Amino acid sequence: PGETENSFILCRGGLAERLCRLQNRERSAISFWRHQCISDDKIPSDKSGVLIVRILEIFEECTIQVAICQQLEQSPATLSSEDAVINAEEPILKVLFTRETAAHLKSRPQDVIHIYPPWQKLLLQNADVPVIMNTYFSQKVLLSEHSEAREKTHGLTKMLIRKNIISLAETFRLDDLDDKLHCKSSDDQVPCAPQTHNNGGSKQHPSALSAVNDSLLEMVESQGAVGWREVQVRVVIQRVYCLPAREGYRSHAPGNNPLCATPVTNSHPPNVRLCLLVQDAYGMFSEVQLQSLSSTDDIERYCRRWEGKFCCLAGMKILQRTTRGRALGLFSLIDSLWPPVVPVKVPGQSQDSEMMTTNLPPPSFCYILTVQSGEIHVEVDEEEQISNLYQPPAVHGLKEILRMDGCNERCSFWAQVLYRRQQSKHSVPIDQRETLLFVTDSTLQNAVHGIPKVVAVSVTASCVLSMEIIEALSAGSQLVFFKDALWGNGRIICVERTVLLLQKPLLCSAAGADLSELTGPVRLDELDSTTQANSVCALRGTVVGVNESTAFSWPTCNRCGNGKLELCPQDRELLYCNQCSEVVTTPVLKMQLEVFLSCPSRSQSTVKVKVWHEITLFVLLTMLLFLQTYEVQSVLGKEVGLLNCYVHSVTSHPNCVALEEIVLL
Amino acid sequence: VPDDLLLGLKFIFGPSAVPALDLVDQRSVTRVRAPSGRTLYQVLGSSGKLYTCYSSCHFCTCPAFGFSVLQKSESLLCKHILAVYLSQAMGACQELAVSEEQLTNILLAEEEDEG
Repeated sequence: PGETENSFILCRGGLAERLCRLQNRERSAISFWRHQCISDDKIPSDKSGVLIVRILEIFEECTIQVAICQQLEQSPATLSSEDAVINAEEPILKVLFTRETAAHLKSRPQDVIHIYPPWQKLLLQNADVPVIMNTYFSQKVLLSEHSEAREKTHGLTKMLIRKNIISLAETFRLDDLDDKLHCKSSDDQVPCAPQTHNNGGSKQHPSALSAVNDSLLEMVESQGAVGWREVQVRVVIQRVYCLPAREGYRSHAPGNNPLCATPVTNSHPPNVRLCLLVQDAYGMFSEVQLQSLSSTDDIERYCRRWEGKFCCLAGMKILQRTTRGRALGLFSLIDSLWPPVVPVKVPGQSQDSEMMTTNLPPPSFCYILTVQSGEIHVEVDEEEQISNLYQPPAVHGLKEILRMDGCNERCSFWAQVLYRRQQSKHSVPIDQRETLLFVTDSTLQNAVHGIPKVVAVSVTASCVLSMEIIEALSAGSQLVFFKDALWGNGRIICVERTVLLLQKPLLCSAAGADLSELTGPVRLDELDSTTQANSVCALRGTVVGVNESTAFSWPTCNRCGNGKLELCPQDRELLYCNQCSEVVTTPVLKMQLEVFLSCPSRSQSTVKVKVWHEITLFVLLTMLLFLQTYEVQSVLGKEVGLLNCYVHSVTSHPNCVALEEIVLL
Repeated sequence: VPDDLLLGLKFIFGPSAVPALDLVDQRSVTRVRAPSGRTLYQVLGSSGKLYTCYSSCHFCTCPAFGFSVLQKSESLLCKHILAVYLSQAMGACQELAVSEEQLTNILLAEEEDEG
């Protein structure tokens, strides 16, 4: 009955029903009281229970008006003008007014308000200022004697009134800087000083042709998506890397045998763009996508020449505004550069050194910019010194990285690449296959038991490798610098924005001595019960059986390694190689033999090893003998080891480990 | 519960107060707990729809929250969140123990709806 807010029936005897009734009663009382105030201007004589306050400051939060007030003993009407001074001894109160009451009162600082009962006082546990609520029955007291003084201070007091609305979106850091809603309010009788992320640039100079700005956000917001025709922004280049173009990495490599040692040759230019991660004087980041590279070899050169330097961007176009949730890879890189190493400017304020700060929340959004219409407007000041804002990659030993907490952390390290293995799933095209690089460094080689000696680093197709690196890795064991690889879930992976370099960058913060130097021959972990699939290990054992069905040998060309030799048409005794177009006089005999070993280090399992490289001469001869005679007896009991192997699979039922002998780079 | 308290609720929380109290009257708030200690609250709304309120942060899956609280900053909370607080204070929460998987499913189901 008389319920205007809800259209459903409330529980009989419940709290809601009770409140409804109380609220209706209250509403009638309020409207009656207001009516009385308007018609009868005199202050009501009944003083008991009246709270008298003078307003010092007003602001609004979520439709409630908060007034910081001083409680007065008596109405100022009874005091002389000299006494009407703010007495610091008087108790301070926080008085809340509803939107309606506030509109009715139209209060300003220095106003005196009489609050009639029933009002309520609330004492919060950890706040010393009591809160006054239920202030429906409030009346402003007009003091004509002090009106002159008020006029003078009116200009000043205008500053005190502020709308301190920090939207929940801002508190929870939901990215929506375009939300200017928190500036507006229906009863906006009070000048508003919004606490937005301010771009002061709108009132500034008409842009000269070469005016240089230092705020990316300002440029983006004032120039819009169309482009920055006349103004330049000065930024620091934090990282240089390549990204595969969106359409996918196109390369047409002819007939690729993943086990072949020859490098992948691209007949078409790679579809790869050079990108910069830049940071402005306010600490804001942006990814700038530059031109397509004709050759990936330049990556290393650009990294060395550009990282850490200042650069001026002009003629940029906004490609996208991306957020943390949508670009995890980009933000993991940004996080590794946060907080800034030197204080950055705070937007919207004039910059004295006290204002600059490093204490800012990590960025939640990032603009991706690109070059307009083919012209490159990026001027890198190569001669100038490295900026203080630059954060070189922090280099750690692999042992430290493996012990790192967290997920999706960027890490950089030097490592010796021992073995390379390409994923062999035939359903995946070659240029999109993952490569596993087995690496080690002195921290792992010298580590005690419990830490693996060799780690697998997965290189995904999105990580762009320069031709230089690919060729180097094919040629032999290399010391490679992995910049900004990703660590998470117990694995190191190279993804977009990871760069592999052969030379040490000029600046990097290393914790301790040069970890890359290996002081002895590389050792692998021995096969044991903890060995997992897709890893490398060393093993030794005794031959206990041979898989006869898979045993065979074949001649290969000693020049090119071609395994498909043919019989010479002229002389059927000789072998001919198609690829070299020559007769092969001294073929190299390769064989494949799958042996079952008994390994003391993992005695419970059946160990099956595919042996197909030339091992020790002794074993080789023995194996050959077997192949010629197919007498298993000749190989049984032979000791094999120490073999370096790649683990294909580990199964528990049956308890079997399948490996393949490998040759380290 | 004294009248003053109810009126105080009305003063601060405005239009959410009566509906929240109604939800408390009807015992609509359930605290869902998993063995790991993870909790969340489920409130049976007036339309019969079940909304989830998080215990670790200030959030409710109802559309009113998204609109009045997050977008327009007009309100401090929605009636479901207020009902959760009131039910907690009055000991009027129903208790439900579920497995980890079930809790995860509840949380994931919310995502699907919004997505």
